[in-house]
This record gives sequence, structure tokens and C-alpha cells, in this order.
Amino acid sequence: MAVQSLYGVASLLASALFGAFAPAWLVVLVADAIFGAILLAASMLNTILLIWYERKLLGRFMDRRGAMHVGYAGLLQNFADGLKLFRKNTYPPREADVLGFYSGPTAYLVSSLVIFGVLPISTGWDNGSLPLSLLLALVIFSFAPLFIFVSAWSSNNKYSLMGGMRSAAQMIAYEVPILIAVVAVIVLSGSFDLTTIVAEQRNYWFWAPLFLALVVFVAGMLAEMERIPFDLPEAEAELVEGWNTEYGGMLFAFFMLADYLRALIGSILIVLLFLGGWTLPSYVPSALTNFPLAGIVWFMVKTYLVFGLFVWVRASLPRVRTDQLLRVGWMRMVPLSLLSVFLAALVVVSRCLPVIGCVPGMGR
Amino acid sequence: MSEMWINMGPQHPMTHGLWNLRVRIEGEIILDADPEMGYLHRGIEKISEDRHYNEIITLMDRTCYVAGIAWEHLYIQAAEQALHVTPPERAEYIRVLTEEMQRLASHIMWYAAFVQDLGLMSPFLYGMRDRDLLLDIFQSFTGGRLTYEYMRVGGVRNDLPPGTTAQVRQTMDWLMDRFVEYDRLCLGSDIFRRRCDDIGVLKANDCVTYGVTGPMLRAAGVARDLRKDRPYAVYDQLEFDVARADSADVTGRYLVRLQEMRQSVRILRQVVDWLDGHPGPVMAEHVPRWLGAPYAPIGREGYLVKRSYPKGLGFSAIEEPHGEAAAYVVNEGGEHPYRVKFRSPVFVNLSAVKKYLVGYRVADIPPILGSVDVCVGEVDR
Repeated sequence: MAVQSLYGVASLLASALFGAFAPAWLVVLVADAIFGAILLAASMLNTILLIWYERKLLGRFMDRRGAMHVGYAGLLQNFADGLKLFRKNTYPPREADVLGFYSGPTAYLVSSLVIFGVLPISTGWDNGSLPLSLLLALVIFSFAPLFIFVSAWSSNNKYSLMGGMRSAAQMIAYEVPILIAVVAVIVLSGSFDLTTIVAEQRNYWFWAPLFLALVVFVAGMLAEMERIPFDLPEAEAELVEGWNTEYGGMLFAFFMLADYLRALIGSILIVLLFLGGWTLPSYVPSALTNFPLAGIVWFMVKTYLVFGLFVWVRASLPRVRTDQLLRVGWMRMVPLSLLSVFLAALVVVSRCLPVIGCVPGMGR
Repeated sequence: MSEMWINMGPQHPMTHGLWNLRVRIEGEIILDADPEMGYLHRGIEKISEDRHYNEIITLMDRTCYVAGIAWEHLYIQAAEQALHVTPPERAEYIRVLTEEMQRLASHIMWYAAFVQDLGLMSPFLYGMRDRDLLLDIFQSFTGGRLTYEYMRVGGVRNDLPPGTTAQVRQTMDWLMDRFVEYDRLCLGSDIFRRRCDDIGVLKANDCVTYGVTGPMLRAAGVARDLRKDRPYAVYDQLEFDVARADSADVTGRYLVRLQEMRQSVRILRQVVDWLDGHPGPVMAEHVPRWLGAPYAPIGREGYLVKRSYPKGLGFSAIEEPHGEAAAYVVNEGGEHPYRVKFRSPVFVNLSAVKKYLVGYRVADIPPILGSVDVCVGEVDR
């Protein structure tokens, strides 16, 4: 029996374990649980690998070596760091609101994890192919300012408060151009379903006709991820650590994990929306695409390359200021994203591109 | 957000040391600023009154931990004047060599810390890497990388080992290429210019009113440099220009420091050329032995010589990497100086903090104070 999806793997495991003597609904429930566990483990493992990747890459950019000593080439360094954080105590400040203090980071992490449930990673590996998966992913993605603000406010620290304020303002400001840039993709592909969007890119990847939307989306994602140059909510020079100043131990690790999960999600969305997802152009020799799980492999390669771009940006740009960031967000990014929707509509109507020429099946 | 005071410090990533900047803010705008010093006070001036003249040199290294040898130079000039000692010319050249190398190391350290405050992570490590080359040279002839204890009343402790001048030349060539890289990373970045232009403005007349000196003064358009205006050691025999900028803002201070580093390289090349052609003693001959004896006099005549010396006053002022530093040494004839007093340029530059901070934003605090180049060790002494 050929397993075609992650949920297929989970069902197979569940029926192998309980299929003989449990009612069908229980098998489905167990399959769901196994599915979630696999997803959790995979996303966590990827996040930790992503941190390692960033550390090594950043090290090279900085003329040093990055993590070296724990495991081969420092691969296990992040596990050691995680273990250290896990063993540390978390002390809420005396005046802190304990409920908000603990629930903020937890909800932030969970909301970031949930998104992985709707992201397709290869043909068939799409967890049921929701018709509105793109919308759902972005909606959950935009919960974050609320949770950050709750944790910042309940920390009862002036630096946390300022960081939380900045974070909320920044995320809301960049939510808008991101969503409008996504509309351009939707116009061109005619679907909210990420699987369909990838399928629509079989002839040409969307980055070429939607280059403006890609630029807006990447810049907006940088702001959403709160990475340099847009990491001012946790600008260490003036705000100590911004909204997570008061957090230590595992709660800090929650923030850290969620940040990298969101970076991973951002990279995945860029790959899915603009870079053809798990597909490769038709002129690529078929030997490169015909091995088992080729789709997932190419998808991961693309995702890590996109994240490498973010690391490169981090290594070479200074941080911008809040007012500059917001001005760019509202006064440049929003008009640009609207323009990109207009361009997408133009492509759909004319069925032609300036450089590539007229492609059969372009637009619908 | 309503108005509130926040304490940035004494433990805060912005401070680069141990001091407290209290700012009153409304939203992100700074309404008032108040520096609080004294967290790192070690009583160096008072301790000096109980030490032999050469023992004070170790304290000087710890006064400013990024420009130790410049402070040694400052003190040693005042002490020599108070003790009526004249160092040989070669020692003067070696002192200039060390001071300019220290200026380079200090400015590179400043560059690293400054860009780190702006969120630029890579240049921080580039700066530390390049500074290490200078520290390697220091280590080759002083034995120290941070605290050197190299100068002595009457000269320097030892001559340069063979090969040092070649190493200096090689490092200077390397650094000149790196400065181009530094400029590309900062001035070439639009974000950098947007962050640094027109913030932290302190005009020339305000600088004069508050006594602000060093790169901050030169960035305001005043070409004042003690190496030119009140030449000490052998600076009057060396060719260099005074770095200057007109914008009086953070970018101006950046430009001044980068220009100064290039001028330091120019000076160093002349100095090593001179040193190669002029071998000679590095220590004056008539220095009393007990000056160099830390706890007990060495040698028989140390016991025999009555420990007294012609009284004298010594004053010296040098262009330290952070600004104009001055030292005053009173010799009342005993083993120890009667009184030692220093002027710290950073202390004065920081006391004007309200003038160049109010009206800007909280996010501007790190670049502005980074451009001041705070070294708390010399502020509190």
C-alpha cells in the first residue's frame, strides 16, 4: 500500500495499532493524534535545524564559524541550549499578571504551530487540501500581535510595554500590505487553496509576473517575523529584550521557538506562493525529480534557501526606527501592494507578460 | 502612553559600562535626560597618592580599558615634568607609536560597539577581528593586550623587538582596505543614513559651552586637535590632518572617527620609518632607581640614596581617542605624588547629554550615545 500523504502515514499506524479491536471512530481519533504528533515533531525538528542553519550561516557572514562543539559541526548545540532553558526556573515579576504572563507565550507558540496543519508540502501531502487554506494560514498567523501584547502588558515592565506597543503597531501595519500582496497571487491563480496555487504555477512561477507582490510580501514577512532590520520590538540596544525582557527559561524558549516557527512559515509561504512550491521547471532533467519524496526534498531546499536570504539580510542591514518603519509600511508598502494587485489583474486580462511573452493558460 | 521616567542602566545594553541614564519619555519622544555617574568609581586619583610614580602606570591602564596606553602616555608626561626627567627621542617616538595604535584600536572598538547598537551584527565582528591584529602587535612588545604597563618615567620599559615595524606596516595596509569595507557597510546603507543623519545634534557653540571635546567637537566643524594645537611628544615632527565634519550629528562623528583612523595610519607609517632609521636608548639615564622599584629599592644605592627629589608640578594634556584628557601631578618631594588629578573627556561629553538627547526618540538613544564613545572607566576613575 503506497502511502501518499502524512495523514495516510498516521492512518496506517493507527490501524496497525488498534485496527483489529477498536471501533472505527477511535482509530480515526488515534490517527489524528499520531498525525498531530508527527507534525509537531517534524516542525520542531525543522525549527531547531533552522536555528542551527542560521547560526552557521551567520557565522560565515561574520567571518567566524558558528556553533562547533556539540555534535558534528555543532548540530546538537541547540538541543543542549534547549535542555538548559528547560532546566531553568521562570520567575514572574512580583507585580505581573500571572495568567497573562504564562498564557501569552504559550498561545503564541501554539498559534504558530497550528499553521503547519494547513501547509501542503508536496503532491498529496496536503492534509486534506482545504479550499481556504491560504486564508486560514494568514488568519492564524496574524493572531500573534495579540499574544505578544498580552505577554508584554502582563510583564508589568516599561521596556516590555514599549516593545509590545511597537510590536503591535508594526505587525498590524505590515499585515495589510501582506494580505493585499496575497490578493495578487489569488487573482492570478484563482484560488485560495495553497495546493491549487502551486498547481497553477506548473508553466511559470509567480515570482516573475508578481515580482512587485513578492517584494512587498518578503519585506512584510521580515517585519512579521521581527527579524533585523525590523526587529525593533526587541531592539536590544534600547529596550533590553523588548516584550520578552521578563521571560526566562522555558517561556523564553517558547518565544524563541515561535519566532523561528514563524520564520519557517514565512519562508514556506514565499516558496508556495511565488517559487512554485515543490515543483521544478520542466527543463530540469527528470532524474532530479523522479526519486521518492522528491517534492518534499525540493520544497525543503527552496525553503531553506529563502530563509538563507533572510539570514543574509540580517547579517548586513542595521535596524530601522519605529516611525520610519511605520511610515514605510503605510505610505509605501500599501500603495505598492495595491499596484501589484492591479498588475496581476492586468496579466490575467491580457494573458501576456512583458518579458516572458504570452503563455497558454496564463490567467483564467 | 503618558509621561514616564525610565532608568537605562546601570545594567542596560545601551550603557556600555556601568552608568545610569534616566530619561523622561512620552511615547517614544525624549523630554528630559539625566545622567547618573559613579557606579564604577574606584578612587584612582586617591590611590595614586599612595603609590610610587611608576606604580601609578598600572592604574592608568585601568582608567580607560579601551585606551590604556593613551592614559599611560598622559600620566607619564605629567609625571616626567614634575620629576624633571626628559625621555630620549626614540622613547618619544615609541610612545607616539603606541598612542596612535591605541587610537586605532579604540576607534575600531568604538566602531564595533556603535554598529552593534544600530543592529548591524557583522561589522561588530569585523571590527573585533581587526582590533585583534593591533593587540597582537601590542602583545609582541608590551606583553599585554588590554593593560600594558609599558611606559616608565624616563622612557619606555623595553625597545621594540625586531620585526615589529614590519608587522605594523603590514597591519596598516590591511586596515586601510578594511576602512573602505567599513564605509561601504555603513555609509553605503540607506538605513544607516536614515538612522544617523540629523540626530544627536550638538552645535559648535554648545560644544564650547559644555567643554565637549574630541570627535564630537570636530564633528561640529571645529578643527581642534591637541596634537596640532598644543603639540606634545613628537607630534610637531609628523604630518597629518585634523579630521573634521560639519554636520554636528551622529553621521558627522562617524565620519570624523573614520577619517581619524586613516590619519593615524598615516602617522604610524611615518613613525615606523623613523624608528627603523634611528636606533638608540629608550630610557633616560639619570632616572632615580627607586622610581622603578615597586616595594623595596633594588640595588645598594637604592638604600643609600635619600628618597627626595626636587619639587615640581607636572601638567600634560593629550588628544586621547575620546577627547582631550589632562593630568596634573604635584610632586612635593616624597616617594609618592602629593596629588594627582585627571580630566576625563567622556565625563564632560556625557554631562551635556541633555543638550543632545532631548527631542529625539528612544530608538535614537543607542546611536547617539554610541557616537559619544562612552568609556565609563575614565568617567568615574
